[in-house]
Amino acid sequence: MSASQSAVRSRAEAVKVSRTFDWLILFALFFIILGGYHVHFMLTGGDWDFWTDWKDRRLWVTVLPIVGITFPAAVQAVLWWRYRLPFGAIVSVLGLLFGEWVNRYFNFWGWTYFPVNFVFPSQFVPGAIVLDVVLLLTNSMIITAVIGGLAYGLLFYPGNWPVMAPLHIPVEYNGMMMTLADLQGYHYVRTGTPEYIRMVEKGTLRTFGKDVAPVSAFFSGFVSIIIYFLWHFFGKWFGSTAFTQAA
Amino acid sequence: MAATTESVKADAAEAPLLNKRNLFFAVAIYCVFYAWVRWYEGVYGWSAGLDSFAPEFETYWMNFLYIEFVLEVSTAGILWGYLWKSRDRKVMSITPREELRRHFTHWVWLVAYSVAIYFGASYFTEQDGTWHQTIVRDTDFTPSHVIEFYLSYPIYIITGGASFIYAKTRLPTYNQGLSLQYMVAVVGPFMILPNVGLNEWGHTFWFMEELFVAPLHYGFVFFGWAALGALGVLNIECQAIAKLLKKDLA
Repeated sequence: MSASQSAVRSRAEAVKVSRTFDWLILFALFFIILGGYHVHFMLTGGDWDFWTDWKDRRLWVTVLPIVGITFPAAVQAVLWWRYRLPFGAIVSVLGLLFGEWVNRYFNFWGWTYFPVNFVFPSQFVPGAIVLDVVLLLTNSMIITAVIGGLAYGLLFYPGNWPVMAPLHIPVEYNGMMMTLADLQGYHYVRTGTPEYIRMVEKGTLRTFGKDVAPVSAFFSGFVSIIIYFLWHFFGKWFGSTAFTQAA
Repeated sequence: MAATTESVKADAAEAPLLNKRNLFFAVAIYCVFYAWVRWYEGVYGWSAGLDSFAPEFETYWMNFLYIEFVLEVSTAGILWGYLWKSRDRKVMSITPREELRRHFTHWVWLVAYSVAIYFGASYFTEQDGTWHQTIVRDTDFTPSHVIEFYLSYPIYIITGGASFIYAKTRLPTYNQGLSLQYMVAVVGPFMILPNVGLNEWGHTFWFMEELFVAPLHYGFVFFGWAALGALGVLNIECQAIAKLLKKDLA
């Protein structure tokens, strides 16, 4: 290969080639990240995300941001720190949301016939925007972890509340008090997932009454800070370009 | 003038840098095939997939499984064998333009891998959740498993392996050794398939309810993280492409 030879014939062609690669890279990266993030998320927090009667004020609020901040942190570690692209978190959560919505519609509804308003996914968009904006404005991994990570946990519940609120309205059914979401679960029986393994509203944290969700969100934000740190370094490692010699 | 005419003729005769037809075909073939698979699940999941002791289960699901095993092993053998057999033995002496063209072809493979991994890790894996949380299983080879574990996973493994072999055998960038993150991105998701052994062993041993976040499933999570190795491949590719274009973009 001669160093004097050029791969392209003109500057215009070089620009066109560069733009074409941009689109190919964005497409491929979106779906590969989506695949990895979705399998991680569904198997670490999925049950609280699949069904509205699992979306309680305690574990849904606590678990999902903690397991959900992982891939955004790792992708930011490459897209921002190598390319100054301030959308690592949002592209990750939008990928996850795309994968989930396609699934809930075509499979949860289309194959097993659960209504969409029982199986719609949670979303991380407000938290991801804050993560990206904090990183963009501060250019600091530590501030992003502490401020952005905390916000990621705190914003999850309010970010999903407008959609969930109508389903947390109390109803009386056969002499029992429950939420509308509980009633959905009562009617749509999941034979493989009996009621006794539904982990909602557990523990004595309910002693605090109305404060359950904020306390859970605060704790979730605290752990999210730590998870952000950890996954930032995972992302750095995954973004390394080392070669090994074949044995 | 004569030189210009010759140059234009050479451009017209030359293969395009990016073969858009191949790119479109690569994406379309997965989408069309998986649309058919989804139709098959919809029709025969409920009508023939609930009782593994029923004769129709053998007809529609076990035979599907046997056929896909044969086709997958054959496809992997032929595709990987062809890519290896037709490797470029003088890869370090190709022209920069040819190298650029091969990077484009490599990205067609990576796009195909991304679509394959989407269907495997996202679409059919979460679909398995709704099937097993709804239907009590009486076999390891449930309709959703026949598709998820033994069809969609092997397909992304075959595609990822082909992409890796293409890069290794045709691109100077990957001639210096084995890219650690490329191996992670391909071998990690591949390891999800052997991990099915643990999953099935656990489900058979305990015959448990389907809690998707159960620790038995964490092997899938760990190997799913390996998809992030694509970030390393991205960085290697960006360096290589920038090197090829830098002079002209400056």
